[in-house]
Amino acid sequence: MAPRDPVGRDRALPDRVVLLGIRHHGPGSARMVAAALEAVRPEVVLIEGPPEGDALLEHLPSLVPPVALLLHDEAEPSAAAFWPFAEFSPEWRALTWARANAVPARFFDLPAAASLGAEPSEPRAVVDPLGVLAEAAGFDDPERWWEDVVEHSAGADPRALAGAVAEAMTALREEFADEVDERTLRREAHMRQSLRKALKETEGPVVVVCGAWHVPALGALPPATADAALLKGLPKRKVSGTWVPWSHGRLASSSGYGAGVDSPGWYAHLWECAERGDAVPRWFARAASVLRAEDLPASTASAVEAVRLADTLAALRGRPSPGLSEVSEAALAVLCGGDEVPLRLVHEKLVIGERLGEVGEGVPRSPLAADVARWQRKLRFPPSLEGKPYRLDLRKDNERERSKLLRRLEVLGVPWGRPDTTSSLGTFAEMWQVRWDPGFAVALGGAARHGTTVEAAADRVLCQRARDADRVAPAAEVLSTAVGCELPIAVLAARSALDRCAAAATDAVELLGALPDLATTVRYGSVRGTDPELLRVALHGLLARGAVGLPLACKGVDDETAERALVAVNGADDAARLAADEEHQAVWRRALRSLVGMPDAHGLPTGRATRLLWEAGELDTAAVAARLHRATSWNGGTASGATAFVSGFLRGSASLLAADARLFDLVDEWLSGLAPADFDDALPLLRKAISDFSPAERRLLGDRVLGSSASSGVVSGEWDEAVAERLAAHVRALLAGVSA
Amino acid sequence: MTTETVLRPAAEQQYAAELAALAAADDRPRPPRWRMSPQAVVTYVLGGTLPDGTVITPKYVGSRRLVEVAVGTLVTDRALLLVGVPGTAKSWLSEHLAAAVSGDSTLVVQGTAGTSEESVRYGWNYARLISEGPSEAALVPSPVLRAMQTGAVARVEELSRMPAEVQDSFITILSEKALPVPELNLHVQAVPGFTVIATANDRDRGVNQMSSALARRFNTVVLPPPATEDDEVRIVTARAAQLGRSLQLPTEPPALDEVRRVVRIFRELRNGSTVDGRTQLKKPSGSLSTAEAISVIAGGMAQAGHFGDGSLGADELASGLLGAVVKDRVSDSAVWQEYLEAVIKERVEWRDLYRACQDLDTSGYTVSGA
Repeated sequence: MAPRDPVGRDRALPDRVVLLGIRHHGPGSARMVAAALEAVRPEVVLIEGPPEGDALLEHLPSLVPPVALLLHDEAEPSAAAFWPFAEFSPEWRALTWARANAVPARFFDLPAAASLGAEPSEPRAVVDPLGVLAEAAGFDDPERWWEDVVEHSAGADPRALAGAVAEAMTALREEFADEVDERTLRREAHMRQSLRKALKETEGPVVVVCGAWHVPALGALPPATADAALLKGLPKRKVSGTWVPWSHGRLASSSGYGAGVDSPGWYAHLWECAERGDAVPRWFARAASVLRAEDLPASTASAVEAVRLADTLAALRGRPSPGLSEVSEAALAVLCGGDEVPLRLVHEKLVIGERLGEVGEGVPRSPLAADVARWQRKLRFPPSLEGKPYRLDLRKDNERERSKLLRRLEVLGVPWGRPDTTSSLGTFAEMWQVRWDPGFAVALGGAARHGTTVEAAADRVLCQRARDADRVAPAAEVLSTAVGCELPIAVLAARSALDRCAAAATDAVELLGALPDLATTVRYGSVRGTDPELLRVALHGLLARGAVGLPLACKGVDDETAERALVAVNGADDAARLAADEEHQAVWRRALRSLVGMPDAHGLPTGRATRLLWEAGELDTAAVAARLHRATSWNGGTASGATAFVSGFLRGSASLLAADARLFDLVDEWLSGLAPADFDDALPLLRKAISDFSPAERRLLGDRVLGSSASSGVVSGEWDEAVAERLAAHVRALLAGVSA
Repeated sequence: MTTETVLRPAAEQQYAAELAALAAADDRPRPPRWRMSPQAVVTYVLGGTLPDGTVITPKYVGSRRLVEVAVGTLVTDRALLLVGVPGTAKSWLSEHLAAAVSGDSTLVVQGTAGTSEESVRYGWNYARLISEGPSEAALVPSPVLRAMQTGAVARVEELSRMPAEVQDSFITILSEKALPVPELNLHVQAVPGFTVIATANDRDRGVNQMSSALARRFNTVVLPPPATEDDEVRIVTARAAQLGRSLQLPTEPPALDEVRRVVRIFRELRNGSTVDGRTQLKKPSGSLSTAEAISVIAGGMAQAGHFGDGSLGADELASGLLGAVVKDRVSDSAVWQEYLEAVIKERVEWRDLYRACQDLDTSGYTVSGA
C-alpha cells in the first residue's frame, strides 16, 4: 500500500487517468479493457509488465498468442523470467489496441533487472483478488463472478465498471494489508514513478492496465521523494529478451504473473464467442465433435439437449448464463452418459485446449534458438506438445541426425526427447519419447551463452564437464555422451580427462568399474562416426592400470568393498572379452592369475577370478579343485574367508551349475574327493555359499544332483560296495555325534 | 390413509406438510403442472429452512450439483436416468423427486426380467373386451400412460432389468411424447409435465444393456456412494431413526457412536483399506451400501427394543453386521474373519464389538475357520 501520509500530502490522480484493474488472463477483464480503450482513446497506455519489454513491442504484428515475453540477464542467461500473454489476456488487448491506434504503450512495472535471479524461488503470497471476491460471493469460477456480477450489472460503461472494481479492491487491500510484501510495495512505487513521468509527457488521457490488486495503490500519488526512496539501491543489470511461443498448458501453471489459469481453453472460447454470443451452443458443438472424433456417440440432438440443460441449470442457480460448471455438468449428464472418462477427454481438448503460439521470423532470437529451429526444419522434426514415440534407425542419415540433435539438446538441459530404455532394439536403432515443452525456451536462453549453434554449445558444455571431471566414472560418462553426440573435440577432451583421472585414480576397482560402459561405446562407436581405435586405446589404458592394481585392491578389504570388486571383476572381464585386443586380454588374465595366487586376498573376487580363469581355459580342473580345497581347508584363514571364496566362485551361476556338466563335475569331484573331516568343515561353508540362490534354483540344483546319482545307479545297476560302506559309516558317525 | 395405518407411507404422504409449506412459500415461476418451482424441488430434496420458519428435512445427503442437474433435466422434459451401485439412494431420490414435482410418486413400473410390454404401454380388461369389443373403457392404462395423460412423473425402477424389447417401447414415448393405440385408432399425446425418472443398477449393466437409441433419450446422473464418513453417518442416523418411528420400535434413537462404527466398518470394507490407509483389506462380494448400513442399524434397534435393554450396543450390531458382510459363506467369512482379527481387535475401544462377534462365531453362526 502506498505509504500513508498523515498530513495529507498525497495528491489525487487527475481525472484524465483511467485505472483499469484487471484479472490476469481474464476474458471479462479483456473485454472491459478493449471497451474502455475505445471509449477513452488515451494518448499513452501503461501496462503492468517489465519496462525492458518495451523494446520488443515492435514485433507485435508477427506474434500469434499464446506467446511469452522472455527476459534474461545478459551476464547470466539462465536467470530468466517470462510473462505470458494469451489472446484473451487484458494486457494483450491493450498492447494490440495501442499498436492498431499508433498510441505509445509502455510496460511500467518494476524492471526485470531488479527481480531476475534475485530470489530464484520467491515465496510470493499469491492473492487472486477477484478470486477472493468471487469466492466470498459463492462462485467457484472468478470469471463467472466477473461476468455475472460485474458485467451484467454495471451497464455498458467500462469506466464505471473499473470504478466499481477499484472500490472493491480498496476494501480488500485493507483486509489483506498484511499480505502485501516489500516487493509489491516497490513495484507499486515504480508504477507510480512511471505514471508521474507519463503525466508530465502528455496532456491527454492516460490508461493504466494493471492487476486489480494494485489499483488502490495507484489511486493517489504520494510525494515522489517517498517513492524514490523506496526504489533506492535496486540491483542494476543488463537485461535482454525475446518473444517465445507459449502454450495453453503452460498458462495453466503459475508464471511471472502469479497464479495461472485452470481453464485457458474455456477462456479462449469465451473470448472468441463473445461477439457472436453463441458461446454455449458452440461449446457443445465442439464437445460433440471431440467425442465423435474418438468414436463416442454424441449426436447433434444430444448437443441440443445439453444446451437446454445448461441453460436450465443456470436459471435454477439464478445465474444469467451458463458457466464452465454448468456446461461441464450438462455435458456429463447428456453427452457422456454420466461417465467421467469421456468428460475428461472434453476437459483436455477444450477446457485446457492445448494450443501453441507462434513467433514470426523477424523476431530476434538467440542464435542458438534459431539454430534449433533450423535443425528442426531441416530434419522435418517439428516440436509438438503431444508426446510421440520415435524409432530412429541410425543407419539412415536423417534419423541419425535427429538422434544427434536430441542428445545434444539433452546436454544443453533441453530434454526434448527421452531415450526409451524399456525396449532395447540393438545396435542400430533407438527408441525416443519426444515431447516439446515451451518452457525449454528458458533453458535454451540459458544455454545461449555456451555457443551460437547446438553443436558448438553442446561441445563447449561437454568439454567443460570433461575438464571438471575428477573421477574415472564421470569422465567415462562424458566420453560416452560425447560419442553419442558425435562431437569429436569433446570426445578428445573426455578422452584426455579419462586418462588424467585414470592416472590419478588409486582405486583399481573404480577404474575397472568404468570399463563396461566404455566397452559398449567402443563397440557401437563406429555407428556414431567416432574412430573406434581412439576409444579402444582409452579402454586399454584403463584396463592396463586396473589390472595392475587389482590384486592389491582385493587385499585386506571389508566385505562391502569386496562386493564392489566382484562386480568390477565381472564387468571388466566382459569388457575385456568384448572390446580389448589379444595383448590386453592377456594382461587382464595375468592380473586374474596373480589375484588367484595371492594368499590373503578377499575370497569373493578371488573365487570369481578362479572361476573366470577356469572358464577361459587358463586353469585346469585339477588346479581349480586344489584351489577350492585350499580355500576350504585353509586353517590360517577365517571360515568367512572360505565361504567368500566358494560364494565368489559360484555366485549367480546356479543355472549354469545345473546345466554345465563340466562345472558341475568340477564341484562334484571336489566335494566327493574331500576327506570326511574336511567335508564336515566344508559343508556349512557350502551351505552358506549357495544361500544366495533362490529356492527355485536350489531345487533345480537338487534335481540335478539326484539325477546324476540316479542315472549312475541305473547304468551300473549295482552298489559300489566300497563307496556305500564309506558313506554309511560316515552317516552313522554323524548320527552318533548328534545323539551323543 | 394416514401414516399410522400403513407400513411405509409414500413420500408425498409422509412429507405432506413440508410439501404444502414449500408450495405455499414458493413464488417463483413453475413449469406447467409442477407443484412447485424447480428451486423449491431442490430445497425439498436437500433440506433448508423456509422464510416462515418451516424446517425442510434433507432427503438426500450428497452433492447439490447432482440434484440440480437432475431437477434441471426434469425441467427440460428430458427423461432422467439415475445410475449407481445398489443402495446409493437411486429409488429414494426418484421417489422424492416425483413427489415434489407432481405430488404423486406412485406411478411406478418395476423392471424385472418378466416385465411385459403391457405394464409399460397398456393392457386390456378382457371381460369387457370380450363383452363390449375394443373400447376406451376396456383399456387398462399403464402407470406410464396415466402419467402421460395427467402430465405427471412416471417412475421406472431397475430399467436395465427389463428385457431389451420392453425397454425399447420407451423410445417412442420419450421421443414422440405420444403412445399410439392402434386397436382404438387412438393416439394418446402426453400433456406438459410428463416425464420419466428411471433408475438402473451399475452392477447390472451387463444384464440388459440399454440400446444406444434409448440411452441417448436420457440424461444420466451417476449417484456415488456418500463422499465422506460424516455424510454417511448422517444418512444412516436419520434413516434409522425414521425407520424406528415407522416400525414403532420401542427403543431410543441410535447412539451416534454405534452408527459411526457401522459406517466405518462398511466404508473400510467397501474401499478395501482402513481409514488411516495403513492396512490393506480384502473386499467382500456384497456391495455394502449405505442402505444396508441403515438396515443393520434398524435391525439392531429392533433387537435392542424387543430383546435387549432398549439401547443399541455391540451385541445387537454383531449379527446384523455379519449378515450384511457375509453374503458368500466361504469367501466372505474369510474376509470377515480377517477384518475381525486385523482391524476390530486392534482398536481398543472396539473390544466389546470384537467379543460380541467372537461369541457369534463360537456359537456356530459362521463357517468357522473358512
